[in-house]
Amino acid sequence: MTTVLLQDVRKVYGGTQADVDALGPISFGIAKGETVSVVGPSGCGKSTLLRVIAGLDSATAGTVTVAGQLVSSPIGDVGIVFQRDLLLDWRSVIDNVLLPAELRRMDLSAARTRAMQLLAELGVADFALRYPWELSGGMRQRVAIARALLCKPSMLFLDEPFSALDALTRDQMNVILQQVQIHEGVTTLLITHSIQEAVFLADRVIVMSGRPGRTLDEIVVPFARPRRLSLREAPEFAAIAGRIRIHFERTGILVG
Amino acid sequence: MTAQEIKAEIKAGEQPSAFSPALAARRRAQARADRVAVFYPLASGVLGLAIWEAVVRILKMPPYLLPAPTHVLAETWLYLPMLLKQLGITAFAAGVGFAIALVGGVVAGAAITASRFVDRTLYPWLVIWHAIPKAVVAPLFIVWIGFGMTSEIIFVIVFTVFPIVVNTVTGLKSADPDLLLLVRSMGAERFQMLWKIRIPNALPSIFAGIKISATLAPVGAVIGEFVAANQGLGHLLIQAIGGLETPLAFAAVFVMAVFGIAIWYLTEAIERWTIPWHASQRGSVLGL
Ligand SMILES: Nc1ncnc2c1ncn2[C@@H]1O[C@H](COP(=O)(O)OP(=O)(O)OP(=O)(O)O)[C@@H](O)[C@H]1O
Ligand SMILES: [Mg+2]
Repeated sequence: MTTVLLQDVRKVYGGTQADVDALGPISFGIAKGETVSVVGPSGCGKSTLLRVIAGLDSATAGTVTVAGQLVSSPIGDVGIVFQRDLLLDWRSVIDNVLLPAELRRMDLSAARTRAMQLLAELGVADFALRYPWELSGGMRQRVAIARALLCKPSMLFLDEPFSALDALTRDQMNVILQQVQIHEGVTTLLITHSIQEAVFLADRVIVMSGRPGRTLDEIVVPFARPRRLSLREAPEFAAIAGRIRIHFERTGILVG
Repeated sequence: MTAQEIKAEIKAGEQPSAFSPALAARRRAQARADRVAVFYPLASGVLGLAIWEAVVRILKMPPYLLPAPTHVLAETWLYLPMLLKQLGITAFAAGVGFAIALVGGVVAGAAITASRFVDRTLYPWLVIWHAIPKAVVAPLFIVWIGFGMTSEIIFVIVFTVFPIVVNTVTGLKSADPDLLLLVRSMGAERFQMLWKIRIPNALPSIFAGIKISATLAPVGAVIGEFVAANQGLGHLLIQAIGGLETPLAFAAVFVMAVFGIAIWYLTEAIERWTIPWHASQRGSVLGL
């Protein structure tokens, strides 16, 4: 069952000199419980795409429907994680995670139990009463993921969530994310620059063209979950990664 | 689950010893830095006063021209009750004026941030006002409002309001656009956005304005008293200089300086207490 559906979506930003054709037309769907990775050259409109689907920005043309509803204002049923963790410095870790429940005026004591569970699952429960600046980048991003999942959204959108982390931490985060994803059963849209990450976490990878971003290719990733990091060395994995890389080389993003 | 329970849960899994050697070394380094931070200003201050004292004594300067620091100190001691009473008057005008400037400045800053119309219409006036040398227009206050405390307080307000408005506007506008998008997707209403995100985010900047204005306030009050009052330290200063009682004038300035320093440290303490999470305050919170 499709929960997210884009039909000929375009986004044009009105600029001071000239309009910027930022995105599309692009059409695709995300099935319930599916993880879709989006890769594409910098500036091709990936973040714009995410904002449009989340209802944080309006499409210039085309339609976006989420769970059968036409999107025209911010959709509530989604947790978002950006590249920067965007934790609030003046709140402890636990209070940061509780923010969405607080804004929605939900029962805080139930939310607190849920928050502690999420922090434990993400391996940062020991830091619940610390402040964000006392945490490493990887830990901060785990807290951001816990915050996104607090209100049990059925969708999770991630915009280059691990780009600022070192390779090792990034691998670790991929494993952790997969684990909570399976546990929470969230439909996931993952935007990333890493081909490996895109393939490792996704059921399907969408390769976008340069600006304005359109779909160049859609590749199904058939491996069963949970996946192990060593899967990345398997020839089948390498074949899929290779197919994506060829698109990048053709468009001149990668020269190799 | 309560905060206590969470705390207990964390205590159970804590291993503080792993980090303590590094922590102890950091503490020692900080203690050394603190000693240096106290020593150099103190030494430089004492040396400066010693030179001043020596110059006055060697050149045998008459006190009405330049009194020695010891003379100023003695004069302060002699007139202390009277000086403190005058300081009380000045401090009252400064305090009331500053409080009004603070509330008004923050509200004006919020209005400027919230409404493009207010921004476009009010901001130019503020900038023009800031460009005018206010000490020069102080006498006009007598013409407009008359002689006395009201005039003085209003002068303090106009003297101190600008830094608060500007820093409030800067702070409120500095919220990360991605963060605002994020909380919007969490269903935040306008009011929540302001109260839970924009205002806390603006506090460090507002405090920067408060520090400037709080130290400007007594200066504004004294200038006000120069022209529009028959009491307060400013009035005393004018009187003392007019009567060639230079040591008393210096004593008044000395009291003013001590008061100003006290205000500065008071605002710093309030800042540390209010925004311990801000980068500028963290060292003191963690004891590092
Ligand atoms: N608010 C905006 N106003 C005007 N133009 C914008 C705005 N946001 C994005 N753009 C433009 O739209 C295009 C796509 O931007 P977007 O941020 O979606 O790219 P991206 O694929 O996420 O890039 P990156 O991989 O570097 O994050 C860019 O050319 C950008 O300059
Ligand atoms: Mg982007």
